[in-house]
Amino acid sequence: MSKIDAIAAYTNELERLLLTISPILSQHVMVSREHTEQEVISLTNRFANMVNELQQIVESTDNTLSDQQHNHLDNISNISRDLLQPVLELLKQIHQVEHSVIGELKQLSGHMSGLNAIADEVHSLAGQINQLADSAASEAALAGGHEQGLATVADGIRKLTDSVTQIDARLSNQIGEVLTVLNAALKISESSVQIDESALLQAESNINQTLSHLGVVLTRYRDDACALRNNADQIRIEISNVLVSLQFQDRVSQILTQVENNLLNLKNTIEKIQQQGSNRDGNMLQVDEAVEHIEENYKSVGAPPNRESDGSDDDLTFF
Amino acid sequence: MAKTIMIVDDSASMRQVVGIALKGAGYDVIEAADGKDALSKLTGVKIHLIVSDINMPVMDGITFVKEVKQLDLYKFTPIIMLTTEMEEDKKRAAKEAGAKAWVTKPFQPPTLLAAIAKLVLP
Repeated sequence: MSKIDAIAAYTNELERLLLTISPILSQHVMVSREHTEQEVISLTNRFANMVNELQQIVESTDNTLSDQQHNHLDNISNISRDLLQPVLELLKQIHQVEHSVIGELKQLSGHMSGLNAIADEVHSLAGQINQLADSAASEAALAGGHEQGLATVADGIRKLTDSVTQIDARLSNQIGEVLTVLNAALKISESSVQIDESALLQAESNINQTLSHLGVVLTRYRDDACALRNNADQIRIEISNVLVSLQFQDRVSQILTQVENNLLNLKNTIEKIQQQGSNRDGNMLQVDEAVEHIEENYKSVGAPPNRESDGSDDDLTFF
Repeated sequence: MAKTIMIVDDSASMRQVVGIALKGAGYDVIEAADGKDALSKLTGVKIHLIVSDINMPVMDGITFVKEVKQLDLYKFTPIIMLTTEMEEDKKRAAKEAGAKAWVTKPFQPPTLLAAIAKLVLP
C-alpha cells in the first residue's frame, strides 16, 4: 500500500469515526441535559415546598408569638401573681384573726382572775359572818335561857355561812377549771399562731419562688421560640438562595444544546465533504471558520452566570 | 381575581422556578416553551403581563415581542425579558421591539415580582 493509499484509508476511517461517534456523543449530551433538567425540576419542586412550609412556620410562629403569645407569656406571670396575691392576703387575714382571738383569750383570762378575786372576797366575807355567828352564839350563852332568839339567829347565821362557804368553794373550783381550760386554749392558739406564721412565710417564699421560676421558664420558652423562628427563617432564606442557584441549569442546558448543534454540524459537514469523493480536500472542512462559529455561539451562552445576583438594581432595567 | 401572567421559556426548570415565584405571589400562570408556542396560546384569553426568555428554539424572544405588538388584543400587554443575555445590543433590540423591562438570570424572585408589580395591567 502506497503512502497516499494509507493516508486515504486513514482519512476514510477518521471520517467514519467522526460520523459514528458524533451522533452517539450528541445522544449522550441530550440525555444528560434531559436528566439534569428533570432532576433540577424535581429538586426545585422539593425546595420550593420546603420554602413554603418554612414560610408558613415562620409566619405562624411570628403571628402567635409576636402578637399574641408574647403578650400572653408576659401576662401569664402577672396573672399568676394577681391570682396568688389574694390567697396570700387571705392567709395573712386569717393570721390576724388568730392574733385577735389570742388577745380575746388573754382578756378573758384577766376577767377570770377578777372573778377569782371576788371569790376570795366571798370567802373572806364567809369567815367574817362565821365570826359574827360565833360572837352571837357566845352572847346567847352568856345570856342563858333569856336570849333564845339570839341563839337561833346565831345558828341561822352559821348555816348561812356554811352555804356561802360551799358556794365559794364551788365558785373557786369552777373558776379554776375555766382558767385551766382557758390557759390550755391560749397555749394551743399561741402555738398555732407560731406554726401559721412560719407556714405563711414559707407559703409566701414558695409562691415567690414559683413565680420566679415561671418567669424564667416563660422567658426561656419565648427565647427558644424566637431562636427557632429565626433559624427557620434563615433556612428558608438559604433554600431560597439555592433555588436561585439552581437556575444555572438553564445556562447548562443552553451550552449542551450548543454542543449538540455543533456535533450535528460536524457530522453534516463531513457527510457533505464525503459526497465529493476523491475531489475532497482539507480546505473543504473550513476549520478556522467552524471554530470561529463555535466560539461565537459559545459567547452568547457560555459567559459566566451572574452569581452575585442579589436583587439589586443591576439585575433589573426598566425601558 | 388573580391576574394572569404568561411565562415563555424553553427551559422547563426555568418555567417552573418563575411559576413558583408567581404563584406564590398570587398570580395565575400560563406556560409556553417558545415564541411560537406562546403565540398559539394568545387566543383571546386575558393576559396581564408576559415574562419571556430571549434565546429559545423555533422563535426567539425578540421576534416573539415583535409579533405580540402586532396583535390588537395584546399589543399593550407589558413584556419583561428574563434572560441570561447581558449584551447591550440584545437589550437595545428588546427595547426597540417593545419590551418594558429586562431582568437578568439567575434572578431573585423579589426582583422579578417588583418589576411585575410595577408593570402589570389593572
